[in-house]
Amino acid sequence: MAKRKMGLMLVAVLFLAVGMFGTAHAVSEIRIGHIGPTTGWATIFGQGVLDGIKLALAERDYKFQGVPIKLMSEDTKADVEVMRTKLDSLKNRDKVHLIIGPSLGHEGMAAVDWGARNLDAPMLIGYSAPEDITMRKAAFSVVRPGWTGSQVIFHFGKYCAKELGYKKVIIVGQDYSYPWDQAAGFVRGFLENGGEKVERIWHPVEAVDFSSIMAKLMGMAKEYDAVLNNSGGAQVVGFFKQWYQFGLDKVYPQILGQANVPIVPMLSELGDLALGVYSSLHYYDGNPSQANVKFRESFKKAYGHYPDVIAVQGYDAVHVAFKAMEAINGKVDDSKAFIEALRKVRMSADESPRGPFYFDKYANPVQNIYIKKVVKRDGRLMNIAVKTYKEVSQFGPYANMAEKYMAAPATTRSYPPGDRDSYFKEIEKHFGKDYVENLKKNKGWVD
Amino acid sequence: MMETHVSRYGKILLAVLVAGILISIPWVTSNYFVMMSIRVMYFGMLTMSLSLLAGELGLVSLMQAAFFGIAGYFVAILQSRYGLPFPIPPLVGITVAIIAAGLFGLLVIRARGIYFLMLTLVLGQLVWALASQWASVTKGDTGIHGVYAPVIFGISTEKSKTAFYFFQLIVFAGIAYFLTALKRSPFGLMLRGVRDSETRMAMLGYPVALLCYSAFVFAALVAAVGGVFFAYFTGLINPHSVSLTANVETLLAAILGGINALSGAILGTGILKTLDVVLSGVTKRYMLFMGIMFLFVIMFAPHGIVGTIRKHWDALVGPAADWFGFRRERALAAFLSGQGSSSQSRKRKEGEEEKED
Repeated sequence: MAKRKMGLMLVAVLFLAVGMFGTAHAVSEIRIGHIGPTTGWATIFGQGVLDGIKLALAERDYKFQGVPIKLMSEDTKADVEVMRTKLDSLKNRDKVHLIIGPSLGHEGMAAVDWGARNLDAPMLIGYSAPEDITMRKAAFSVVRPGWTGSQVIFHFGKYCAKELGYKKVIIVGQDYSYPWDQAAGFVRGFLENGGEKVERIWHPVEAVDFSSIMAKLMGMAKEYDAVLNNSGGAQVVGFFKQWYQFGLDKVYPQILGQANVPIVPMLSELGDLALGVYSSLHYYDGNPSQANVKFRESFKKAYGHYPDVIAVQGYDAVHVAFKAMEAINGKVDDSKAFIEALRKVRMSADESPRGPFYFDKYANPVQNIYIKKVVKRDGRLMNIAVKTYKEVSQFGPYANMAEKYMAAPATTRSYPPGDRDSYFKEIEKHFGKDYVENLKKNKGWVD
Repeated sequence: MMETHVSRYGKILLAVLVAGILISIPWVTSNYFVMMSIRVMYFGMLTMSLSLLAGELGLVSLMQAAFFGIAGYFVAILQSRYGLPFPIPPLVGITVAIIAAGLFGLLVIRARGIYFLMLTLVLGQLVWALASQWASVTKGDTGIHGVYAPVIFGISTEKSKTAFYFFQLIVFAGIAYFLTALKRSPFGLMLRGVRDSETRMAMLGYPVALLCYSAFVFAALVAAVGGVFFAYFTGLINPHSVSLTANVETLLAAILGGINALSGAILGTGILKTLDVVLSGVTKRYMLFMGIMFLFVIMFAPHGIVGTIRKHWDALVGPAADWFGFRRERALAAFLSGQGSSSQSRKRKEGEEEKED
C-alpha cells in the first residue's frame, strides 16, 4: 500500500516538474490582430497596411519557428468609438498577442489612449502620424514603426531654403491636424535655414473648388517663390488640375507636395501633371535597394498593382514583430518582455524597403528622410531621391532637446508662426538663446 | 378577480426574472458581453430619447445625438482638462444639454412633420459644426481623449468593467422607469392626444406647445445621460458622435425595434450595435446586409420588431395557450402583460398601439 502511494506520489511530482519546466514554445498559436479603416473613405489607409502585413506573413508561410500565426482583421470604419470597441474585443475576446494598427490620425490618438489603459497589450502603430502618440502621450505598450507628420518634412523645409533657394513659400492645405503637423515641420526647417516667410492657407477637408485660392495665389506670385500643396486624396487631384487650368504653372516653379501628394496611387491619377514635384518622406518607391525591389515585385505579383508607403508600414511592422519574437524565443505570452523586445529592434537597409531604422526612447523610428522628385523612367512615373538625410528622429534637429520640444506648445493651424521674426522669438523662448545664436552662426542646421 | 391576482404576481415574477438576468450578466457571461451590454445601454438611452418624441408625439428628431454629444463633451472637457471631480462634470453636462434643449426647443416647437425633421436636422448639424470647428475648445476633428471613468464609493469604474456596468445599470433602470412612468401618466396621454389630433387637443384647452416643449426637454435629458456614460466608458469624444450619421443610426435603431415601445428602442439598439461590430468581423459587405435587413423591416414590419410582436400577440400566444391547456388564452395574455380583467384585455386588443411596457 505504502509503496503504491509512494509510486503515485513520484509520478505526480514528475508530472508537476515537467509541467513547470515546459518547452520554450509554450504558445500553440500566435494571434495578430490588425485594426484599421477597411471600408469607407479611408479604405486605402487601412487596406494598404493590411496588404503589407499579409505579404510579410505569406513570406514566412504564416509561421514563426513552426508555430502557426493567425491574422485577424477588424474594420474601424474610421469611427473611433467602433475602434475602441474592437480593440477591446481583440484583446478580451480574441486574445491577440499583438495589435497592428490603426491608420488614421484621430484613430491613432485614441489608440494610444487605449494603450495607456491596457499596458499589457502590445501595439504596433500602423500609419497614424500625429507626433503626440510617441511624444506627449506616449505609452509603454505602444510602439510605432512608422513616422510623424513633422519628422518627414523638417529637412524638406531646409532643402527648399538652402538648395532650391526659396525665400517665401505658400502652403495650401486641408484644415485638420495632419496637414497642420506637416506645415509646422516645414515652417521650422524653412525659417531656421534661411527662409523668410511661410503663408498658410487652409481650406475645408472636402473642398473641390479652388478658384478663389488660385486667384489669390496668382496675386501673390510677385512676392512668393513657390507653393506647397498640403492635402491628400481627391483634393490633390482637384488642386493640380485647377493649377494648370488657371495658368499658375507659368508664374510659379513646380508644385511642392506634402507626404500624401506624390504617393504611387496618386501618380497614376495625376499622370504627367505630377512631373517635377518635390516632396519628402521616409520612403521612396524608386529606391533601388534590394529590400525595396523585392518588396515591390512580390507585392505586384500578389496584388496586381505596385505598393506604396502605406503597405510598407504593415510590411515593416511584421518584420519588427518577428525580430522581437526571435529575441524572446517566441514567448509572446509575456507581454512585458515582448514590448521591451519590440522597442529594441534594429532594422538594416537590407531588411526594410525604407532603409535602416531603430527606435528612439519614445518608440518612434530614427530613420532616413529622402527629398524626392517625381520623374519618368521607362515610361513610368516614380519618385527618386535627390538628397538623403540620415538618422532623423521624430524631433528632427531638436533631437538633443526633446524635453524642450515637448514642453513647447503643440502644433496648431497657425503655430509655429510663419514669419521669421515672430518664429525666432518663439524658439528663443522655448529652445534658448544659445540655440538661436548657433543658428545664426552656422546659417542654419549643421548637416 | 383571479386574473387581477395572477397578473400582479406575473408582473413581479417578470420583473424579478429580468432583474436577475441583468444582475448576473457580469458573472455568467464574458467581459466582451459586458462591454457590449454597456454600449447598448448608453446608445439605448439615445435611442429611447428619439423614441419618446417619435412614439408619443409623432415628432421625428434628427438632433438627439446633439444633446448626447453636448453632455459628453462637457464631461470630457471638465474631467480631462480641468480635473473636476465626479459628479460635477456629468451634472454640468446634463444641465447644459437641458438648457440647449430649452433654447433649441423654442425654435422647433411650432414645427410639425417634415418641417420638424428638417429643423432638427439643421440644428443637429449646427452642433456638429461647432464641435468640429471650435477647435480651441473641442480639439476639432481629433476629439478629446484621456477621459477617465469616476471612482464611486471607493470603487473605480475605470478599472472594473463590472463596476461600470452596475453604475450604468442603476442609472439606466432609473431612466427606463422614469420614461415608463411618463408614458403611463396623464402627461403621456396628453402627448399621444397631441400626436393623434393636435387641433382637437387645442380645442379641448390643452397647452399643446407647452406639452411638446417639455417632452422635447425630457428627451434631451435622456440623451444627455447616455452621452455622459459614452464619454466615461470610451474615454473620448469627437464630432462623429454628434454627426448626421450618428443621428440617422439612432433613427434606424428606433425604427428597427419599434418606436412605440421602450423595449423596442433597446432591442433595436442592441441589434444594430451588435451587428455593427460582429458582422464587420465576418464580412466586408456587412453594410449591404444591414441595409437589406432595414428594407425588410420597413416593408413588412413597419412597427418595428416589438411593434409587430405586439400586433400579432394573440395570434402568437393563442396557439401556445391552447397547447398548454389554458382554457382562456386571454387570461394568459392578461397575465403576461399585467393588465387586469378580461374586459380590459378586450379593450387592449383594440387599442394595441396605445400600450407600453
